[in-house]
Amino acid sequence: MSLQTDLIGLLGTDRVLASGLDRYLYGKDAGVYRGEVTVVALPETTEEVAEIVRIAARHGVPVVPRGAGTGLAGGAVPLGGGVVVATTRMNQIFEIDAANRCAWVGPGVINLDLSRAAEPYGLHFAPDPSSQSACTIGGNVANNSGGPHCLAEGSTVNHVLGLEVVLADGDVLVVGGKAPDPIGLDLRGILVGSEGTLGIVTKALVRLTPNPPDVRTLLITFDSVEDAAATVSGVIAAGLVPAALEMMDQRMTQAVENWLGAGLPTDAAAILLAEVTGDTPAVEAEADVIRAVATEHRAREIRLARDEAERALLWKGRKSAFGAVAQAAPDYYLHDTVVPRTKLVETMREVYEIGERYGLTMMNVFHAGDGNLHPLMMFDASEPGALERVHAAADELVELCVRNGGVLSGEHGIGKEKRDLMHLMFTPVDLDAQARIKEAFDPEGRFNPEKVLPAGSRCFDFGRPIPEGAWI
Amino acid sequence: MGYVTAEAPTRVELATCVQCGLCLPHCPTFRLTGLETASPRGRLMAMSAVLEGFAEVDDVFVEIIDFCLGCRACEAVCPGLTPYGRVLEGARAEIATQHPTPSRRLRRWVLGRALATRGFVSAATAVAAVVQRLGATWILPAAVRRSFTGLRPLAGRERWIGRSAEPVADPLGTAALLAGCVMDPWFSSVHEATVGLLRRAGYRVVVPEAQTCCGALAAHDGHASEARRMARRNVAAFAGFDLIVADAAGCSAHLKEYGHWAGDVGGAMAERVRDVTEVVAELIADGRLPRSELPRGPVAVQDPCHLRHAQRVVEAPRTILRAAGYEPVEIDQDAMCCGAAGTYAILRPDTSLELGRRKADQVRAAGSTVVASANPGCEMQLRSLLGPAYRVAHPVELYWEAVVEMAGRVPAEVDR
Repeated sequence: MSLQTDLIGLLGTDRVLASGLDRYLYGKDAGVYRGEVTVVALPETTEEVAEIVRIAARHGVPVVPRGAGTGLAGGAVPLGGGVVVATTRMNQIFEIDAANRCAWVGPGVINLDLSRAAEPYGLHFAPDPSSQSACTIGGNVANNSGGPHCLAEGSTVNHVLGLEVVLADGDVLVVGGKAPDPIGLDLRGILVGSEGTLGIVTKALVRLTPNPPDVRTLLITFDSVEDAAATVSGVIAAGLVPAALEMMDQRMTQAVENWLGAGLPTDAAAILLAEVTGDTPAVEAEADVIRAVATEHRAREIRLARDEAERALLWKGRKSAFGAVAQAAPDYYLHDTVVPRTKLVETMREVYEIGERYGLTMMNVFHAGDGNLHPLMMFDASEPGALERVHAAADELVELCVRNGGVLSGEHGIGKEKRDLMHLMFTPVDLDAQARIKEAFDPEGRFNPEKVLPAGSRCFDFGRPIPEGAWI
Repeated sequence: MGYVTAEAPTRVELATCVQCGLCLPHCPTFRLTGLETASPRGRLMAMSAVLEGFAEVDDVFVEIIDFCLGCRACEAVCPGLTPYGRVLEGARAEIATQHPTPSRRLRRWVLGRALATRGFVSAATAVAAVVQRLGATWILPAAVRRSFTGLRPLAGRERWIGRSAEPVADPLGTAALLAGCVMDPWFSSVHEATVGLLRRAGYRVVVPEAQTCCGALAAHDGHASEARRMARRNVAAFAGFDLIVADAAGCSAHLKEYGHWAGDVGGAMAERVRDVTEVVAELIADGRLPRSELPRGPVAVQDPCHLRHAQRVVEAPRTILRAAGYEPVEIDQDAMCCGAAGTYAILRPDTSLELGRRKADQVRAAGSTVVASANPGCEMQLRSLLGPAYRVAHPVELYWEAVVEMAGRVPAEVDR
């Protein structure tokens, strides 16, 4: 029997998509890569996922998990055909344990839906990617997603207590749990951020965070990007860890404002969105520190969000930024890299220089507080050679950030995008260790193949002996 | 083969989608199915696939496009400003041309011709009134039956078309009212409230005789040449009026897009079009219409998609209801479609019913037996699912009642 027939036998015709157009639509996420899909399966239960994995194994085809498809690094894009396992129908919230501040959820639960469901208990799910209104918990776990508020709260890995995972042979593994410090090897840290290369998460036990008693959100306007960047370094140096500290440059602000009409200053070279949370006296004091640092760095205007509605509007603007760039050009490509906060000023200068050198419009919106840059390059993919130029500039951007003491990816994952840049960060020993973990989980290499680890990561790929002490 | 008509989605329009996916959770059909192919992003990519030659206007494409409600919730949340409603109508026009099934041919005639013919609408109304009075809904096709039970009583009221009425306050100007294809015979008390309020605020109200159906239903279904013809006729009929008011959200939304359907003159007309809720809310703010001090209790607010998502009018109906003494109760922070969606209730009864039930549950949970909805399709959908224990009315009707009551008498100034 064919792969498709077997899957239809399991899921019925409604939950198996195989027409040319269906496969085309699932061949891409929110990034720039297009892949090749053999068939799309939409399971609803753990057992169905396990059976899909077994069927795929029988037919010797890859399995690529996909949530909402909001990723930017090509993580959910199948590179060599295979079954795309779309988890959107596994969107049940099984349990909200308010007393223990955690919830068991399906991988297809939308990030914001979880926070809304936890709202009556005064709780929320802290990782808040810009795509939080659309992206799924499964995708957050797979990419160890961050977001503006991860500056203080940490990224997804800090909010996953347990996972139920379907392994390569179809077995179901449960790791972690509500106990604060599970015994044995802590596999959660390995599975979170593994981008579907080790298994498919079918349930997640996530931490819920109490909503802060009070909050202050400041919109700070600057006449130069340098002043804004220096303010960020200054705030952190003053000993503060704000709940969020975000920067947008002028072009980005203009695009967002054009859509949102929130009264953002479109003539400013850069704006900072700073948020502090906690008890009222604490947030008042912290907001004062931020005001003082900003003023010291020639802030032109400091606006305090008057109420929750204005605060929500400012965040909506920040979180819609990627979509808003469509106003500037038909295509965009962004890199998600990190530099130490102390290097923000010079790195930003160089980012714009790279843009000029390659003749690309550069728009910036990023998590300034943790030095997590998102330079967006605008282009038109239908223009011959444009994409190549963008990729060349992008590689240079990553090299720049790594050279300045940063890392490859802040929160979007490696996927296909940064796979071949891994060597900038990792030694052959590092890569070999990671490749051996992959091999232990997925000996046949059928889980999201050709992602994260570059070809040749495994030392014996070069015919070399395994370095001593590389793994265990 | 790609696209063959001038209505087709263009490369420039489709390039505004960068596939960020922020629209997905706002799409009712994506929420129901979890399918990329049932999401705005998926539909736009399907349109691009045809444009780029990776796909054809075949059965798969038709299903992807036809499953869409056209609620345009995606458009309201799209930071890339993708003109989703426009390209959807373009894709439907391609389907109507390349896949002219018998059902589509019939719809071209009904939506594009019959609705624009007053005699046809009158005859259909007469038949419907008989069926309604006899309770003989069994003779109707199954797909129409449920929507039919949401109709108001089809009393033999006079039509507004062709009439005019003088202001009963300091003159403010002249307002022209869109009579609408079915608003006039089926929802004339909404017109009555609209005309009464405009006159009270100082407007002379004219309901031009030469007008016709706005063409929204034809346009949404892909019958572009019919939609253009209706738009041109209305542009001529409404020439010279500074303010053009429609009291069905679907109609006001479409009139505002006449720039596409009738060129520059259409665009000039579109700039003068307002939904009645916008106009009345402003007149209340200006003090030209009164506020009631008498508390009337809660009212559940149902936002018609083509008011909230297509026109981004959110506050106006609430302002009006507050002025009437009601306390607006929110039922759905996402303002998801109730499933009526024009002809969708008839073409896709199952999906329509599922969404309608969700909306009805939200109304029940809100704890109010009065529901305000500024669009006839939504009103019928809600009434058919909520039953006679609930009152579903247009916000201006509820407000007009309050205004009349405040005046302490039956509004003698409304000449019938």
